[in-house]
Amino acid sequence: MAVTDAPPTAPPVKEPEDRSFGRLLRATEIDTRLLGMLAALVIIWVGFHIWSDGTFLTPRNLWNLSVQTAAVAIMATGMVLVIVSRNIDLSVGSMLAVIGMAMALLQAEILPDWIGFDHPLTWIIALVAGIILGALLGAFQGVIVAYVGVPSFIVTLGGLLVWRGVAWALASGRTIAPMDSTFQLLGGGSRGNIGAFWSWVIGIVACIGIVLLLLNGRRQRIRFGFKLRPLWAEITLGVIGCAAVLGAIAYLNRYLLPDQVARQRVEAAGDVWPAEGIGISFGLANPVLIAIVVALVMTFVATRLRFGRYVFAIGGNPEAAELGGIRTKLTIVKTFAVMGVLVAIGAAVQVARLNAAVSGLGQLTELYVIAAAVIGGTSLAGGIGTIPGAVLGALVMQSLQSGMVLVGVDAPLQDIAVGVVLVLAVAIDSFYRRRAT
Amino acid sequence: MKLRTKLLALLAVFVLIVAACGGDDDDAGTDTTAGDGGVATTADGGGGGDDELIVGVSWNNYNEERWAKSDEPAIKAALDAAGAQYISTDAGSSAEQQLADVEQLISQGADALIILAQDGTAILPAVASALEQGVPVIAYDRLIEDPGALYITFDNVEVGRMQARAIYELVPEGNYVFIKGNQADANADFLRGGQEEVLQEALDSGAIVNVGESYTDNWDPAVAQTNMEQFLTQNNNDVDAVVASNDGMAGGVVEALRAQGLAGIVPVSGQDGDAAALNRVALGEQAVSVWKDARELGKAAGEAAVALAQGTPLADVAGTVLFDSPGGNQMTSILLAPIPITQDNLQIVLDAEWIDQATLCQGVAAGTVDVCG
Amino acid sequence: MTTTQTRTPLVDMRDIRVAFGGVHAVDGVSVDLHPGEVVALVGGNGAGKTTLIKTLSGAHKADSGEIYINGEKVAIETPRDAKKYAIETIYQTLALAENIDAPSNMFLGRELMSRWGTLDDRAMESAARDVMGRLNPKFENFKVPVNSLSGGQRQSVAIARAVHFNAKILIMDEPTAALGPAETAQVSELIQQLKAEGIGIFLISHDIHDVFDLADRISVMLQGKLVGTVRKEHVTMDDVLAMIIIGKLPGEATASELEDLHG
Repeated sequence: MAVTDAPPTAPPVKEPEDRSFGRLLRATEIDTRLLGMLAALVIIWVGFHIWSDGTFLTPRNLWNLSVQTAAVAIMATGMVLVIVSRNIDLSVGSMLAVIGMAMALLQAEILPDWIGFDHPLTWIIALVAGIILGALLGAFQGVIVAYVGVPSFIVTLGGLLVWRGVAWALASGRTIAPMDSTFQLLGGGSRGNIGAFWSWVIGIVACIGIVLLLLNGRRQRIRFGFKLRPLWAEITLGVIGCAAVLGAIAYLNRYLLPDQVARQRVEAAGDVWPAEGIGISFGLANPVLIAIVVALVMTFVATRLRFGRYVFAIGGNPEAAELGGIRTKLTIVKTFAVMGVLVAIGAAVQVARLNAAVSGLGQLTELYVIAAAVIGGTSLAGGIGTIPGAVLGALVMQSLQSGMVLVGVDAPLQDIAVGVVLVLAVAIDSFYRRRAT
Repeated sequence: MKLRTKLLALLAVFVLIVAACGGDDDDAGTDTTAGDGGVATTADGGGGGDDELIVGVSWNNYNEERWAKSDEPAIKAALDAAGAQYISTDAGSSAEQQLADVEQLISQGADALIILAQDGTAILPAVASALEQGVPVIAYDRLIEDPGALYITFDNVEVGRMQARAIYELVPEGNYVFIKGNQADANADFLRGGQEEVLQEALDSGAIVNVGESYTDNWDPAVAQTNMEQFLTQNNNDVDAVVASNDGMAGGVVEALRAQGLAGIVPVSGQDGDAAALNRVALGEQAVSVWKDARELGKAAGEAAVALAQGTPLADVAGTVLFDSPGGNQMTSILLAPIPITQDNLQIVLDAEWIDQATLCQGVAAGTVDVCG
Repeated sequence: MTTTQTRTPLVDMRDIRVAFGGVHAVDGVSVDLHPGEVVALVGGNGAGKTTLIKTLSGAHKADSGEIYINGEKVAIETPRDAKKYAIETIYQTLALAENIDAPSNMFLGRELMSRWGTLDDRAMESAARDVMGRLNPKFENFKVPVNSLSGGQRQSVAIARAVHFNAKILIMDEPTAALGPAETAQVSELIQQLKAEGIGIFLISHDIHDVFDLADRISVMLQGKLVGTVRKEHVTMDDVLAMIIIGKLPGEATASELEDLHG
């Protein structure tokens, strides 16, 4: 995930040290916490790679990992805002079930009566309806939190029970399947990806984006006569950013469609399948693309929009925010509404990926989403958290789970490991935070 | 999980209040017992005449589709046929509530009890007290570790055997993946035990190889899907068969296979006769769904309850066998045989009106499956 | 009272009442403030000074009473309303969001936006540097969360906010409570400077010396009521202490009561 800008909560730059790495960090003004998490991720990855006899870091497994992380990562970006504003949302998993079930019923049972099954518009109607439903459910909870004054823990604990019940009632516990064939593309699979070419296009666009961001930052500094980063630091940043993005694309593109799928695709296009076969890349999966877009948009919202600034201010000092003239209650309602929208997107990915809505959909998801945000450095005391951190947190957690399945560690031990990592991450974080101040 | 149970009980109370506010169905016939949450009784006549047998049923949580749709009508039909009266309670997923429910049923004059236990251990004192008062108890579908009770269920070990048998017939040698249920659920291991019985020999001889095995938190299909993706990655798609323990997880497995173009090529097992799963069977994407006809279970329980209420000793009830429980008890049991549904016998679920033809055959190409035309 | 000015006051608060539950925190208090004037509000803990002033800054709604700004009756219900009338407040608690940096705090609720509707952080930093250059030239920590700043630096941020937004009416609630002697002197100097620019200042303070140094008039409150307002040059510190402690105007207190004040 691209790090677009230093978040407003970047820790204070420490005393000058003469080591060149420290100098690089200072000169580039990179968030050191994020770097620490990246380092932890690398250790986990390399560890599993060795333990799994060289399977973990294959393009295929990393591709799997990216898809498996997508839904939780999407929702964790919203959870960051909720937690930063000193609230919590425990209803995420149950909301996911309600919205997922609603979208499934819409496309499998309601819309077919009107426009037929697999109509080209079905997927977008279902998705938009889901997003609207998510915004409404979230805003509804937010209003009770902000205007009625019931603590969010209680409101969303109630939501956890109520929405789960509603999800069950919607379909009387049935499994709703299959989904609309276009809608399924949201979940990935062998069709739900963009192929090598478009992956490269996206990589190059991202690369240009990084350069433009750096240039714009430099121009702004010049405009106000601020101290500039040294040119070498700017260039280093640009090169590292571009290399990371393009390298990741190149590596993932090495994951090829299985022969039978590739063959079907070639023959469906009216071509002849050559005896020696053709390598067709999966390319980035749609859910991953959605997650990246969500992460970028949410980073923008959190750091570049008034709304985001207000969320952080409320988390830092609600009284100060109120005295500063911020409509704090409305802002809280908005954070819950945004959470609801992201749950809807997460639900769409989940349901599309499973090609079914089951009544147990999203069980325990709230805990994974909160854990992702917290592992990613979001403080439950409020006021502190970053979007890229939460995405990394989701990736760390899924890496642990997928990695352990890969090396044959069974479910109970997986839970233990993830739990330990959660506590450890927060412990290390608070240790460094105390030292930093 | 314990906390969750309590929270659900809380919700049940909430639902009760809502139901009480909106409840205007005072013409409650014998059929309208469903929605009323934890309301203690649904009997029309209360004590009833001395000559009429009364059978009390304690549901752990009526709010599950299956009980209302299949089990209860079957029990009622069996009781009606014998001229016995049906009364019931719903514990709303609360083990504590269920203790009180059982006492209530006895005080209403139940001559026999059918208990679907929320918690097979917590219910023991109530069962012991019922037996002391001379009220026979049937442990319905879920084990209650009291040898004085009659245990009626589908043979879960047999379900596992059927899953393994169906897959083994298709793939006598090759790489097998086992997607097991929730590790906290005894059924997950019963199923796995049955699968093992059938496959052990082939595993020992090396004809088949276990290349991946994992429990699945909460029987969650999404978790099963992720695990299957990892097994495929680990084995570079060299997987020949998947023994999945239920239909929901089979759905997740099939989606993981589909992403690799293997759906319909690698056979997958399941159980429950879910509509989506039966559709997959018709489509050829799932080899077997072991189906437990809940109506058979209800009928057997109703008949056994009448027999017990009339004073028949446990061992003399028709169809009983002895079953060694995990708790070390010899339970007098009626173990019903489930039915493995494959593409060849889909007619059974249609005849039973378990599923309609349109749902079963959605997306099935004409001429591929007999029942779909 | 002793006021003889005939010009329209900048602020005229009349018969303000605020009750919490059954307690009258502010009970029919009237005060006024003229341009370029410092009016000190003094009184013991719980006298109602802060509550009174919060009705002007929009943090609290008055239960009854009227507020006139430049002779016009206004309704101040939220901090946003107060800002509309160029009323800026420096709270005792500083009212800073600890987790965000100084420019973001200065502009909290009134952010500078780029033409694309996004936050213009560089412009805000630039403006903050301008103001801070005047107030506290040594201040350099524009990019760190304010919780890593010293008390004096945080005070500068709060004052810079008021200065930048061209306050006409400034409310300072214990502005020097958190500061050392050098920083206190700096604030005093600043108050003189703002005064010279024609800004009216309500100053709440515990420090009677500060009050006599800075204020033109002194309004004393006791148990929610106004004891009286006096011109600084007409009274001694003992007179004011008598007002604060026993609620009697100069000349009303007996010799023995005055004696007790020093006991």
